[in-house]
Amino acid sequence: MLQLSIQGVMTVEKIYDVIIVGSGVVGSAVARELSRYKLNIAVLEKELDVCSETSGRNSGVLHAGFNNRTGSLMAKYCVEGCLGFDQVAKELNIPFKRTGKMVVGFNEEDLAKLKSLKEQGDKNGVPGLEIVGKDQIKSLAPHIGGEFALYSPMTGILNPFIYTIALAENAHKNGAEFFLDHEVTSIHRSENLYWVNTKKQQFRTKWVINCAGLNSDKIAKMFGIDDYTIYPCRGEYFILDQKAGQYLEMPAYPVPNIKVGGLGIHITPSIDGNILVGPSTEYIDEKDNYASTQKIMDLLIQDGGKIFPYLKREYFIRNFTGIRPKLVGENEGGYADFVIEKRKSIPNSIHLVGIESPGLTSAIPLARRVVELIAQDQSLTENKNFDPDQKGIMNFKEQTTEMKRTLIEKDANYGEIICRCETITKAEILEAIHNPLGVDTVVGIKNRTRAMMGRCQGGYCQTRISELILEEKMKSESEILYSRNGSNMFVGKVRSL
Amino acid sequence: MTVSKREVIIIGGGPAGLAAAVKLKQLGIHDLLIIEREKELGGILRQCIHDGFGLTRFKEALSGPEYAQRFKEEVLKLGIDYITDTTVIEISADKQIIAASKEGLKTYQSKAIILTMGCRERTHGAISIPGARPAGVYTAGVAQAYMNLKNIAIGKKVVILGSGDIGLIMARRMTLEGAKVEAVFELQPYPSGLPRNIEQCLNDYSIPLFLSHTVTNIKGTSRLEGITVSQVDERFKPIPGTEKDYECDTLILSVGLIPENELSLLAGVELDERTKGPKVDENFQTSVKGIFAAGNVLHVHDLVDYVSLEAENLAQNVAIYLNNGELDHCSINIETDLNFGYTVPQHISAKKDFKVSMRVKKPYRNCRIDILQSGHIIKSIKMRKAIPAEMIQIPVKWHELKNFETLKVVVVND
Amino acid sequence: MIKEFTCIICPNGCDIEADIENGRVLFTEGEKCKRGITYIEQELINPQRNIATSIEVMGGHLPLASVRLTAPIPKDRIFDVMEEIKKIKIEAPVSIGQIIICDVLSLNSDVIATKEVNKAENFTVQ
Repeated sequence: MLQLSIQGVMTVEKIYDVIIVGSGVVGSAVARELSRYKLNIAVLEKELDVCSETSGRNSGVLHAGFNNRTGSLMAKYCVEGCLGFDQVAKELNIPFKRTGKMVVGFNEEDLAKLKSLKEQGDKNGVPGLEIVGKDQIKSLAPHIGGEFALYSPMTGILNPFIYTIALAENAHKNGAEFFLDHEVTSIHRSENLYWVNTKKQQFRTKWVINCAGLNSDKIAKMFGIDDYTIYPCRGEYFILDQKAGQYLEMPAYPVPNIKVGGLGIHITPSIDGNILVGPSTEYIDEKDNYASTQKIMDLLIQDGGKIFPYLKREYFIRNFTGIRPKLVGENEGGYADFVIEKRKSIPNSIHLVGIESPGLTSAIPLARRVVELIAQDQSLTENKNFDPDQKGIMNFKEQTTEMKRTLIEKDANYGEIICRCETITKAEILEAIHNPLGVDTVVGIKNRTRAMMGRCQGGYCQTRISELILEEKMKSESEILYSRNGSNMFVGKVRSL
Repeated sequence: MTVSKREVIIIGGGPAGLAAAVKLKQLGIHDLLIIEREKELGGILRQCIHDGFGLTRFKEALSGPEYAQRFKEEVLKLGIDYITDTTVIEISADKQIIAASKEGLKTYQSKAIILTMGCRERTHGAISIPGARPAGVYTAGVAQAYMNLKNIAIGKKVVILGSGDIGLIMARRMTLEGAKVEAVFELQPYPSGLPRNIEQCLNDYSIPLFLSHTVTNIKGTSRLEGITVSQVDERFKPIPGTEKDYECDTLILSVGLIPENELSLLAGVELDERTKGPKVDENFQTSVKGIFAAGNVLHVHDLVDYVSLEAENLAQNVAIYLNNGELDHCSINIETDLNFGYTVPQHISAKKDFKVSMRVKKPYRNCRIDILQSGHIIKSIKMRKAIPAEMIQIPVKWHELKNFETLKVVVVND
Repeated sequence: MIKEFTCIICPNGCDIEADIENGRVLFTEGEKCKRGITYIEQELINPQRNIATSIEVMGGHLPLASVRLTAPIPKDRIFDVMEEIKKIKIEAPVSIGQIIICDVLSLNSDVIATKEVNKAENFTVQ
């Protein structure tokens, strides 16, 4: 029996066991881990796609765990996440490479810091760390400049968006329900259940897991937890052309300055063959201010060039920004540890707050901890049908010529090239739109398929993708969105001007 | 797997490809195929609905589609083979081509390949405008495609960055349809588009043009809400204190065109850093034997009439190549001083007449362009006006050359 | 009085300096051909322009057919002509050169189609 809530939205009839707020990498990992059990799970996401904020806007690095204070949760979960990732990448069928990483130094002071980093890493249980000299740097990573370095063989690179969507799609396959465009507006407790209100529907659930990232403090406050404030700390990046990508074998970082609270401007190869330069570290006021600044762009060129002499202006394709959900403000600086807590006074709610780097690496270990915390209060029955394996959208470009031929014979849509720069076919775009967690925003399609990420940045394919959205989703021109609500691309037909 | 064998394959059925095909057929080369990725032939002309095409060639002021139609009619009349909705995804130095279409993956082996893929636009990201990334920022060509091909209006209140021709054309186009174009901003101290376009696209509609200005901030979380512009100094750095805000929902970028040579690189074709197009000789042959290039893929043109001439010239040489198996070796380089962006061709044989195409890097009044060989002026052209927006072409007869030394092209103030 | 003009008749876009008195051209410098002088004379009396736009096509394989004028019209009537063109919705097929509006607003210029649009194979009313 559906009821109207006080706010005037319909109450969903089904009562959930768990509602997860936020479908970034942590929320999606929690959904997947919980779907191993017989539970009614719903994920509520405020944006129009999963992985819309911090989870998709970072260096895409799987950290080994030597940067984190021994004994911290960050250290523990990072090391765990790093060691177990080969299995995860295999199950989720996502591109992943253990490239190794260099933390590079130039003087005696740097060398001392590198040695203490190695010590910390050794204590944290990070395997294979080594202090190397100039010659070894040259042989392992010929294009990186430095006198000595801390070499970490376990560090890897991945596409954080593809990882998150794989987690989410696998969770969905195993029974979790995803509600996109459902921003949580308020939560109250009644009849031993949490009533979770969004602008569209009202939900009832036993457990709430707060994975709301930048807004995790806001969600925590809805439970009466006032202890936390998220300080948005923006990082700007540049993306370099794949032509430059051939010059970088592995991420190269400078010796970190703990006070700054970021890992410093580093150079990272992306799994797709580009190079990321950044991020900067700048505390800002708004949680959604993703603007890039001239000042930082100039700084990235300057500082990036120090460790990577191949930084040429002509290689720049575009820039992007991410915002760290930090638990410490500008004056304090540095890092606070992950917060993952369940309070006796606020039953059946678990809050993950301040999950900044190494959040990507730690996502699954954090999710397992959530399961542990729930299991303390109730028994969990195994979902015998749980299937950990997931296949994403197959990349036509990577197939052999023979395979390409066969694919087109089976499905003519593989023969229609929509994005010429990246050789993305209509079949892949249609999958991105029609998959169970499909989307119809231009950026959503871009993130799932790589369309529009090539040299022409959508110059050729943007009109085609818009056309496909119009056709496939029976929308009108004025409804097509770029990325978020309000990002309408068009006014309407030409004569509507 | 069947490999279809052809004498000539033309990649790209726009103005250059069409002109080359028609000429080849007229010269007796019948086994040719045009491969076009769009649903129709015509290339970029399909979306250039304004007039000004064909003024020299047909002595008429045609629209882009009409100009293309003249050639399409010839293609049909002459029975030239072409396929549409087919995208070339690979080419090799030994002239094998793989193309994808709904009908299947097609493989070809060709004796000669003509590259006429046109160009792409310089992007938002490439010029790194600081600020947010809302919807509402479009390059001019994309805005034009939406408006003229897809019947989609992109916005109501427009600001244009870059005084390139496409941006100027779009200023007029959008104004005619009822949008308000607030202003055009140009980084350089001179306009990059043709003067006649400044006149009939901006001045006619009282749209102000601000030289030595650039956009320094983009505002709006979801959809564009406004931009900030600043004046720039001689080194193109924003001058503090000159910031001005404009409210708008659309920012159109018309900041340059880049020859589209991703496929050319796959075949090992050497590109000229300055043009971003293939290095070619007087026959329009690239560094790979049997692969030729013309049109915007070689260097960006401003008049389609010249594109057709260039492609016809190329076709004549391809015909000779097919009949003789090779062309004269071209080992004489053409160099320029720093006042020129580039010259095409980059090398010649000194055994036949050729035409040098070039652009000056900044405007000149009352100047002289000299072609020198071993310090002697072998050809000299006086120009009242030379601007970067207008390609300059100078024909040279082979007997005007003194020897087999490098040629140098310079511009001198008269 | 010396006035500067940029001729728009052909791609040369000649910069022409003209000495004007009482609306008459006394002397010009900079034109490459006589059409430049004609252009200036016309600009002084009644500036003329050609325009191009598009019209919606129903049942066609393309949604739009581009159109232009067969002859320039007075510059100050541009938007009036646009209003007339905006009213038009045409059914496929459309051929190049097809007259869409004959002698629009009695300005001695036809609006003609510049794009060929065939009937769509499977046309459904939107």
